[in-house]
Amino acid sequence: MTKASVDIGRTGEDIAAQYLTNKGYLIIERNFRSQQGEVDIIARDGEFLVFIEVKNYSFRSIGTPLGAVRKSKRESIIHAARTYLFKNKIKGINCRFDVLSIYNMSQFQLIKDAFHVN
Amino acid sequence: MLIKVNSAAVNGLDGYVVEVEVDSIRGLPGQSIVGLPDAAVKESRDRVKFAITNSGFEFPPGYFTINLAPADIRKEGPLYDLPIAIGMLASSQQLKPGMLKETVIIGELSLDGGLRPVNGVLPICMSISGNGIKRVIVPRENADEAALVAELEVIPCDNLLKAAKYLDGKETIRPHIIDIDSLFSEKLQFDIDFCDVKGQGLAKRALEVAAAGGHNILMVGSPGSGKTMLARRLPTILPPLSIKEALEVTKLYSVTGLLSSKKSLITVRPFRSPHHTTSDIGIIGGGRNPRPGEVSLAHMGILFLDEFPEFERDVLEVLRQPLEDGVVTIARALSSVTYPAEFMLVAAMNPCPCGNYMDATKNCICPSFKVQRYWGKLSGPLLDRIDLHVEVPRLKKEELTNLPKGETSEVIRQRVIKARNIQIDRFKEARVHCNARMLPKHVREFCKLDTEAENLLKSAVLHLKMSGRCYDRILKVSRTIADLEGSADIRSAHIAEAIQYRAMDRN
Repeated sequence: MTKASVDIGRTGEDIAAQYLTNKGYLIIERNFRSQQGEVDIIARDGEFLVFIEVKNYSFRSIGTPLGAVRKSKRESIIHAARTYLFKNKIKGINCRFDVLSIYNMSQFQLIKDAFHVN
Repeated sequence: MLIKVNSAAVNGLDGYVVEVEVDSIRGLPGQSIVGLPDAAVKESRDRVKFAITNSGFEFPPGYFTINLAPADIRKEGPLYDLPIAIGMLASSQQLKPGMLKETVIIGELSLDGGLRPVNGVLPICMSISGNGIKRVIVPRENADEAALVAELEVIPCDNLLKAAKYLDGKETIRPHIIDIDSLFSEKLQFDIDFCDVKGQGLAKRALEVAAAGGHNILMVGSPGSGKTMLARRLPTILPPLSIKEALEVTKLYSVTGLLSSKKSLITVRPFRSPHHTTSDIGIIGGGRNPRPGEVSLAHMGILFLDEFPEFERDVLEVLRQPLEDGVVTIARALSSVTYPAEFMLVAAMNPCPCGNYMDATKNCICPSFKVQRYWGKLSGPLLDRIDLHVEVPRLKKEELTNLPKGETSEVIRQRVIKARNIQIDRFKEARVHCNARMLPKHVREFCKLDTEAENLLKSAVLHLKMSGRCYDRILKVSRTIADLEGSADIRSAHIAEAIQYRAMDRN
């Protein structure tokens, strides 16, 4: 990955965090990593603990943002989520997986409850 | 919150209650279905998800486990969609259903929340009534079928929302009621009639005897002589089904999924004519999840096998056991089921591959070994089990144009019904219902012969080298012939006619 694309990702996540905060999410952690996975943003939305995957686009041609979160990516996020819950001894809280896609750093699309485990 | 919803499953022709237990824990979102579900049951997860959101409910968060109990029996088919959805809604307290305990819920969901019909509703309803179950919620298309069981309150639903509101007590749905007697009062209507067939008096008489006693029959004749035409008209002279028989037939069609939503009860005797390429499993039933075969779908009716020797040898041989027993037991690694198969076998064949072997006007061009091979397909034990053998000769040109119309089906059927009524009276205490199904003890009891008739039969058996089974079959056929005549005793004339129908034993 070039430094430029990492930067785009970083800036994208900054914008995403800002957007989510405006939506009422309480950001808890960013770029949480487990051995076999990672999740971009962990936040609290009301009673839910939400794991958010951020997708940045500057062109439209490669398909929908949800399509970009394929099985391996979902498994990576789920693994990170399980690790996070275990490490922090969190029990009895309903969780959710959201996907936030950002087009050209300005257009947002938030998909709540985008996928389930299994 | 743990919720238990009753649903049902069907094994063979017996239904049983399946308890759908739904519970959830807070945590990562997801669902798992346990209790030996097959692929269609597992997929219900996705259907349920969309059906719930598209019905205006909230898809509940948390991890759901759905258990189908008893957990050691395989669950098939999509009929658990509705109980699972109701269970998830109740578990997440989006509805507070009463009366779940005495209600059985079945139905397949479509993504928009609508309900689709499922198979096996009639056998399920017949088995579960009683046992504390008072009502059943079914898709609207299945309502007629379910309502045939008078003891159950049948609640027809169009979609998930309706069912949920009903269980919540927010909406009342009038129980579906069907008048069985009115279904039977409709007069039998056929587009074809026996009077369409010219000549063939002997064959017609043989078919009448077959119909009157429920006997199997084999017709041999040149191409175009009218074998198929005659066979197709056989249902028009059969007696109507009784309510009990109709329910039994309908159950079979219900599990096979052949019941149309417009006709909930099968009131006409089935006529099945499978093609001669049909496999043995197609004929006898079976498969990984056993399904009734053609012999069972012809239960209480006619199994017509045209071009009899063209069937695979295996297929013909598997017919032997159901012909004798009237039931088929299909044992597989996963399950063993028994389907009824009391059918009349009507077989038709040419006398040789070219078809002109016995023809007076045309010459047969088959080498004799080919004729032998053709007949060799029919084993002795199989021919033994066919009571009546009859030749259907080709009509001469002047016969075709000059012969008057024959008797109508209605006239013949009245005679058949009369003969059948005598049999019903005779077998009141026994579990058989026609002469062809008599057990050996019935044959001894009801087929007593006078000396003249006995001598005739003895000499016939000697000369034709008949088997013991064949002897019994002749007695049964002569009993039917006597019944057609209204005669209490079997006389030598009746025996003589019965022997005459063993044409193929003589060859």
